[in-house]
Amino acid sequence: MALSILVVDDSPMARKMLIKALPTDWGANISQAGNGIEALAAYRLGKVDLMFLDLTMPEMDGYQTLEALRKEEMNCIVIVVSADIQPIAQERVLSLGAAAFIKKPVDIQKLEPILKQFGLL
Amino acid sequence: MLTTDQKDALQEIANIGMGQAGEVIARVLNEFVTLSIPRILLLQPNLIAPALQRMVNSDSVSAVRQAFHGHIRGEALVLFGLQHCADLADLMGYEKDIDHATEMEILLDISNILVGACLGGIAKQIKVDIGFSAPSLLGDRMSLKDLIKTGDVAWHQALLIEVNFQLEKRSFACHLIILMPEHEIKLFAAALDRFLENF
Repeated sequence: MALSILVVDDSPMARKMLIKALPTDWGANISQAGNGIEALAAYRLGKVDLMFLDLTMPEMDGYQTLEALRKEEMNCIVIVVSADIQPIAQERVLSLGAAAFIKKPVDIQKLEPILKQFGLL
Repeated sequence: MLTTDQKDALQEIANIGMGQAGEVIARVLNEFVTLSIPRILLLQPNLIAPALQRMVNSDSVSAVRQAFHGHIRGEALVLFGLQHCADLADLMGYEKDIDHATEMEILLDISNILVGACLGGIAKQIKVDIGFSAPSLLGDRMSLKDLIKTGDVAWHQALLIEVNFQLEKRSFACHLIILMPEHEIKLFAAALDRFLENF
């Protein structure tokens, strides 16, 4: 069955950049959300295997989204993709259950080893 | 003057530039920096001061200006609320009662770091070369209205990019403003279009 991916970022440009960086031959189902509230709604429908999550977003940011997901047992892989490259930000998201952290701007060179690490490639 | 796609690209590019600047500031001050979503506005020059007033929310500020030049030109301003200067000195390990000259030196140093990292990050992403003038004090303990005097400018539109940096555990915060007149906005828009062609 095709992998279901959710790309969560308030910036349509950032979502476009990330989707462009994904492997072209993946055959995954890709959907998008503009903030944490929309992301949680999609997650609760049970259709998310892999979530790419931004941190700085209106309404519900990435940290709050991770906390909410953790309360709901986080039944998907979350990879944080952020411009906030402070080491503390990276430590915090990993402690909240994120599987990995990728610095923006994202490209296939940054994505590939992480996707391989989780058996997604 | 900017399409929705150009504005969206600029916001994301500014976001990445801001993240790089935030990381440098976090390292210098040894504190976690809370980042905001960058704001992009196209304004008539006479509306810049009121817009900044709403963003900064302080009657009086100290400001450092630093021009950038090269493929695109403009001015970067770093605005500091007065209550934050002393906190900044403390964070950088200075004694409690620093003199005014030292205080200004700190503001110039911090501004130089922020502008170089943020604008340098933006320029790198849109593949343009820019250089910077030395930072200089634009005003000390002044109202924004007195600071941004636009009565004698010839241009009609200015691009204002605002990012702000707040420390999670301290009161210090500052705003980085990038201003460009309309003829530079056109060059900037062309660079954004070239960036957008990749997506």
